[in-house]
Amino acid sequence: MKKISLSVRNDNNYTSNMKILVCISQVPDTSTKIMLKDNDTAVNTQGTTYIINPYDEWYALIRALELKENGVATDVHLITVGKADTEPVIRKALALGGDEAVRIDADSVDPYQTANYIADYAKTVGYDLVLCGKESIDYNNGSVGVMIAELLDADYIGFATNIQVEGTTATVKREIEGGEETDLVNFPVVIACQKGVAEARIPNMRGIMAARTKPLNVVTPTASAAVTAILSYEMPPAKAGVKMVSPDNMDELVELLHSEAKVI
Amino acid sequence: MSVLVLVEHTDGNIKKKSFEAVQYAAEIAKKTNTTATALVLGTIADSELENLGTYGVQKVLHVADKKLDELHARAYASALIAAAQKEGSKIIIALHDINGKAVAPRVAIKLKAGLVSGALSYPDLDKGFVLKKAVFSGKAFAFVNITSDVKVITLMANSFPLAPGSGKASIEKLDITFGDKDFGIKVKSVDKVTGEVSLADAELVVSGGRGMKGPENWGLIEDLAKELGAATACSRPVADAGWRPHHEHVGQTGGTIRPNLYIAVGISGAIQHLAGVNGSKVIVVINKDPEAPFFKAANYGVVGDAMEILPKLTEAVKKFKQHK
Amino acid sequence: MNDTEAVKAIKGGEFLIRETPAESVFIPEEWNEEQLMIAETCTNFLAQHVTPNLARIDEQEEGLMPHLMDEAGALGLLSISIPEEYGGFGKDFKTSMLVTEKLGAGHSFSVAFSAHTGIGTLPILYYGTDEQKAKYIPKLASGEWKGAYCLTEPSSGSDANSGKARAKLTDDGKHYILNGQKMWITNAGFADIFTVFAKIDNDENLSAFIVEKTFEGITLNPEEHKMGIKGSSTRQVFFNDCKVPVENLLSERQNGFKIAVNILNLGRIKLGGGTIGASKEVISTAINYANEREQFGRPISKYGAIRYKIAEQAIKTYASESAAYRASENMEEATAHLIETGMDPIKAKLKGTEQYAIEAAIIKVNASETLNYVVDEGVQIYGGMGYSAEAPMDRSYRDSRINRIFEGTNEINRMLTVDMMLKRAMKGELDLMGPAQKVAGELMSIPDFGGSEEETLFSKEKKYIAGFKKAVLMVAGSAVQKLMQQLGKEQEVLMNLADMLIELYVAESTQLRVEKLVGMRGEEACKEQLDIMRVYVNDAAEKIFKSGKEAINSFADGDERRMMMMGLKRFTKTEDFNTTQARRNIAAKLIEENKYCF
Repeated sequence: MKKISLSVRNDNNYTSNMKILVCISQVPDTSTKIMLKDNDTAVNTQGTTYIINPYDEWYALIRALELKENGVATDVHLITVGKADTEPVIRKALALGGDEAVRIDADSVDPYQTANYIADYAKTVGYDLVLCGKESIDYNNGSVGVMIAELLDADYIGFATNIQVEGTTATVKREIEGGEETDLVNFPVVIACQKGVAEARIPNMRGIMAARTKPLNVVTPTASAAVTAILSYEMPPAKAGVKMVSPDNMDELVELLHSEAKVI
Repeated sequence: MSVLVLVEHTDGNIKKKSFEAVQYAAEIAKKTNTTATALVLGTIADSELENLGTYGVQKVLHVADKKLDELHARAYASALIAAAQKEGSKIIIALHDINGKAVAPRVAIKLKAGLVSGALSYPDLDKGFVLKKAVFSGKAFAFVNITSDVKVITLMANSFPLAPGSGKASIEKLDITFGDKDFGIKVKSVDKVTGEVSLADAELVVSGGRGMKGPENWGLIEDLAKELGAATACSRPVADAGWRPHHEHVGQTGGTIRPNLYIAVGISGAIQHLAGVNGSKVIVVINKDPEAPFFKAANYGVVGDAMEILPKLTEAVKKFKQHK
Repeated sequence: MNDTEAVKAIKGGEFLIRETPAESVFIPEEWNEEQLMIAETCTNFLAQHVTPNLARIDEQEEGLMPHLMDEAGALGLLSISIPEEYGGFGKDFKTSMLVTEKLGAGHSFSVAFSAHTGIGTLPILYYGTDEQKAKYIPKLASGEWKGAYCLTEPSSGSDANSGKARAKLTDDGKHYILNGQKMWITNAGFADIFTVFAKIDNDENLSAFIVEKTFEGITLNPEEHKMGIKGSSTRQVFFNDCKVPVENLLSERQNGFKIAVNILNLGRIKLGGGTIGASKEVISTAINYANEREQFGRPISKYGAIRYKIAEQAIKTYASESAAYRASENMEEATAHLIETGMDPIKAKLKGTEQYAIEAAIIKVNASETLNYVVDEGVQIYGGMGYSAEAPMDRSYRDSRINRIFEGTNEINRMLTVDMMLKRAMKGELDLMGPAQKVAGELMSIPDFGGSEEETLFSKEKKYIAGFKKAVLMVAGSAVQKLMQQLGKEQEVLMNLADMLIELYVAESTQLRVEKLVGMRGEEACKEQLDIMRVYVNDAAEKIFKSGKEAINSFADGDERRMMMMGLKRFTKTEDFNTTQARRNIAAKLIEENKYCF
């Protein structure tokens, strides 16, 4: 594993240069029709357009950039676990901002393994704040961020809707059941972001052209085993016709909405 | 070797979805020829803990520390790990909700365990330890195998109906010594929100059209929305007529929304309106015209007079929520 | 490209007499990562700022259009091709075409944008002194100042040089006093800088002036009520003893018309880009609707009559796009080569562009007429809702119409196409005589039925296209011979010839594009594109025949007519094939993807 600089830390105060690591993952575009192949053991990716996971892009990355623009952070690094085909998406992220990107050269197939790769790298640099999206829209796990926190012996706040930083403390609003909680947490901390943390931006020409020249370092990870594996996929059943409910039986409708449709 | 399940409660009342998790754990315990143990943290009466037996656990471990009344993910994880060690648990279950998602992955890392987040099925033991979960934001399902010795699962609520039995569980108190790091996050304030839900973010939407006859009838829509915790929307003619504010207008020339539930009341379902809402997961159409095109795009339909149906539906929702 | 390559490179207009190797054309499927990111920024810009506000824009909400221009400026979209020394990004021409295309779906905004970045800025960029450029370009590039262009007058449109606006030098020689009335001036309502054309004293030709809004004597009439692009500011601008400092004379005295013509070359091809972008958007909207709207129990996209329209919209758009980017690259290569030979970059840009003025005119006509078809059938696909002001097609339909009128009417552009061809031939720049004589000779001899050449995937279409060239050369050669100086007065013949040239160029461009694409992706991955090519070439043959027949019959008779008609038939003969099925294949793909996907 390539070692970058180790920031100097002592027990009670962190370095004056605040470094943020933003976890970026590549996902299929939201309008992609999912099709299976190889006897349903894999997803057909031919012709798929890839994008930055929206939660990573619109919230985690933009907030990191804002913190740098406001003079709070000095370095914003991006990290992706993926093979070379993820580089265009990484450059899209760099077009929005960030000082440099790192690609851990491995497929991201298992959250445990992915978190280990990221944490191993993060330890070589030393980050005060790790930002990621609340979940990736392809596998909807939302677990990598928590795992990274555990591996870095750091706190984690998920479903964040607002992040303010002062010194080495973050004030984070997060969604809780039926409301919102405001937490105070010291660095290092991993925060998973959702709507409210920042506003999405359109990459401007300057950023797009700079993306080409920013460092995109490829790192070979130290081996880490995967502990889960996707064996196969299944498509959901076709949509049935409308189910009519008698106007005298609204209880039935509510029950259907709850137990069958599972929307309430 | 028991299956261990984390149980959540609100102010000493066990959450309905936690009973689902307990039932799930118990079923897995049966399949793997072992017992099921529930772990409950924080302040809760024994009488409440006893209910857990009816969902199949044989033992309840209770860590009564009141610091655990609110989520402190590291502390919860420490408690789960301590309990797992005590029970020799190889399978650990939490809910796929805000709390469970903050805790289970930590446990997985600590125990070098594979984690499946959002399981919708019991494990298929013939193929290993394979669980079904939704992927691509619900466009497909994946079957995930956990290959590690210890397995951690977060269960998607509402996957199995509750079927309480008549079992009893023993209650055991457990003392855990926590470190400072376990309570590193300080809660500054909590805001329980009861205000309006924004239309763009709303998971539930109640929408009205010209069939509502006039703005004076909108109270019926608002009542239902309030009961559901839903946002309100409307069709274009309604916005144009000034019955409702323009930001509520959804349709081709209005807003596009993708809620889990879209209840359309007195809206015929012209294609232009559909263009704004056909991304909804579930559509309920209430219209007095059985030929209304909207029924073709609906999951559920009710033919009748909105003025009569809405209050009945609101009442039914109210009843449902009380029993949850 | 080195000198020998440049010599070999196809010059403007030479498409008629030479074969272009497929590998040498640029095709949109070759965009690089950075260009795609830029395209995405344009699309995202429209989605976020423009599309949700189309009604407000059309209502000309106070300050909204300039604000949108500012937002575009903040993203860097107003200075894509402005040289870096003036604060721009110095990007190549294709990239700026791509931006124009992507923003082309922006209705009134697209017009404001194009007017500002094109006619509003380029006259100064290309003809300004260093001082003038330093003063005006950076602010135009950032959008801090908005630009407009005042050429047209109530009584001088196509006949631009007939303008009545006059400029007179003051006695102290420090100012020009400008008087005149300009009409149909885009961006006038908020522009800070006007490039104004007027004749100095009794000059025969126009001169150009840089006029700042703050100079005294400028008044505006209220906004014109237009059929479409209602959100675009269009006003009459009155200059009443407007004092323009002498330093603001742009280029030499009486050079105005030349400036206008050169800027138009760029404007024409850019208009092509914009209309192609608009076409793609309208097609996607129409497909969406067709997939949703059910009649007789099925989505209307299942019906053949609708599928035909969807396929035809896509075929025409793909073809227009093929021509537009082929020519853009040609312009760029020509410019680059001239710079290599030591020419000043700006002069090279103007000369390189001028080289392909014929193609630019062709593209202007073809792409705007493609859009015409697309929006017309778009309304039709929408049925009753197509007529509703509440649905999107109404705006698209009304907004599209101007494209056949401004930047030189399509009639003027048709005539220019032929005119420029013939002028170049006369000047010896383009050898039409030789090839035309060769064709005439061929007419006399026994036709070559030989088919000993190996059949490749494209050999049929290449043969047809070679035939089309002969058809054009035959009719044009004969028309010139017969009519000589009178040809200029026989506008109908010029129109016929222009239509033949346009179909030829666009058909060939499409064929070359698909050939290159198959080389890149393999035949299997290009099935629909191959169908598009085959249908387009097939239809082009019919159109070329029809135009040729009309021309021939208007100036030839007796044996000569008979012989030319025989030749025309031979040169436009194509093998029958099931175009209906081909269209169905194309439509099926579009319907499955639910958008324009080629």
